[in-house]
Amino acid sequence: MSEHTDRVAVTVAEWPDDVESDEGVVVNWFVGEDADVEESESLCEVQIEKVSLDVYAPATGTLTEILCAEDAEFERGETLAWISPAEDEAAQSSEQNDE
Amino acid sequence: MAAEASTRELTMSRAMVSAIAHEMRENSEVFYMGEDVADYGGIFDSTEGLREEFGYDRVMDVPISETAYLGAAVGAAQVGMRPIAELMFVDFFGVAMDQIYNQMAKNTYMSGGNVSVPMVLTAAVGGTYNDAAQHSQTLYGTFAHIPGLKVVVPSTAYEAKGLMHNAIRDDDPVLYMFHKRLMGIGWMPAPEGPKTPVPETDYTIPFGRADVKREGDDVTIVTLGLHVHRALEAAASLAEEDVSAEVVDLRSLVPLDTDTIVESVEKTGNLVVVDEDYRSFGVTGEIVASVADEALGALQNVERVAIPDVPIPYSRPLENEVIPSTEDIVTAVKRTQ
Repeated sequence: MSEHTDRVAVTVAEWPDDVESDEGVVVNWFVGEDADVEESESLCEVQIEKVSLDVYAPATGTLTEILCAEDAEFERGETLAWISPAEDEAAQSSEQNDE
Repeated sequence: MAAEASTRELTMSRAMVSAIAHEMRENSEVFYMGEDVADYGGIFDSTEGLREEFGYDRVMDVPISETAYLGAAVGAAQVGMRPIAELMFVDFFGVAMDQIYNQMAKNTYMSGGNVSVPMVLTAAVGGTYNDAAQHSQTLYGTFAHIPGLKVVVPSTAYEAKGLMHNAIRDDDPVLYMFHKRLMGIGWMPAPEGPKTPVPETDYTIPFGRADVKREGDDVTIVTLGLHVHRALEAAASLAEEDVSAEVVDLRSLVPLDTDTIVESVEKTGNLVVVDEDYRSFGVTGEIVASVADEALGALQNVERVAIPDVPIPYSRPLENEVIPSTEDIVTAVKRTQ
């Protein structure tokens, strides 16, 4: 999956300093698959130990696939979802954006 | 932006906060105070992020004296501010009952109309998470009983935002009771349903307008708060047995939308009232009596589903036994058929 360089992975960008665990759980998704999202918009809320934090869109585009549903656990660095960047933001790879 | 607004979903807590933040940006007289509402963001996320945007002058942590800070809120409201004061658990009302029952609710009348009390009292309500008898009540009936207070209870994020806008703009005291289980907190997962699309712009839901959450022909289920979702689940399961249930979400207890309830009962003939408060002297009795007043002839069968008159147990199986479940609602509906 990850060889598709036209897609952008949604991950927890900054793991909190004050937790020991390398696992988290997705608490709430605020958008569904196929939703149009804007860069830095909050996509979901995750909980790591007792710390809740929002995960923001790394790019403007379409949320094409959610890999970790609500209540699903994930490892540090794991991809939670994929965004296909909007065409004007990814003009350099314009042919592959519909995939 | 319109496309985002239609697909974005919010938890109930975030919808509440977005309404409060909007009103605080528009009106410098609006401020929030309560226990753990500033640095902690509310123990049920009711004020998450507000202190970061508005600072400590407008989002205030207060000492543990409900009498002091609810009294301060009443006074601030009377001189023209628009305070929102949070009672961390509605169960704690007893230590400030004079401020709520005798000052907040009555000062407009006691002053001969010389002052109004445009404040919102927010309070977390409800059980289902084993917090025992002093932290699990809804007490809907206790507050809907006293004249002078408006009482609203959101069931979804959409309702939470629209009712909060209306509550802050109202010139009278409003009690805004939010159910902990609906807020969308990580450690207390909400059922399916309260997380809904929420417009980014402001909008109001008028008080005294119930919402028919599901239409049906055979029975009217009247409920509020968490039990809207249990009633909808019951209605879905009853539909598989060819029983068509209408679900009415009260949204506001005071004023009460008797018209919508009566209209529904005149169609179905059967009334089931579901409440997470105690059975006696409460919402179920009031709704049944209101329908009997208006349309006695339309009532064929009546069922009340509520907490039996016992303090809510700490034990999980015992708490599950006394709080109305989806199965309890299904069983009550079947008795009417």
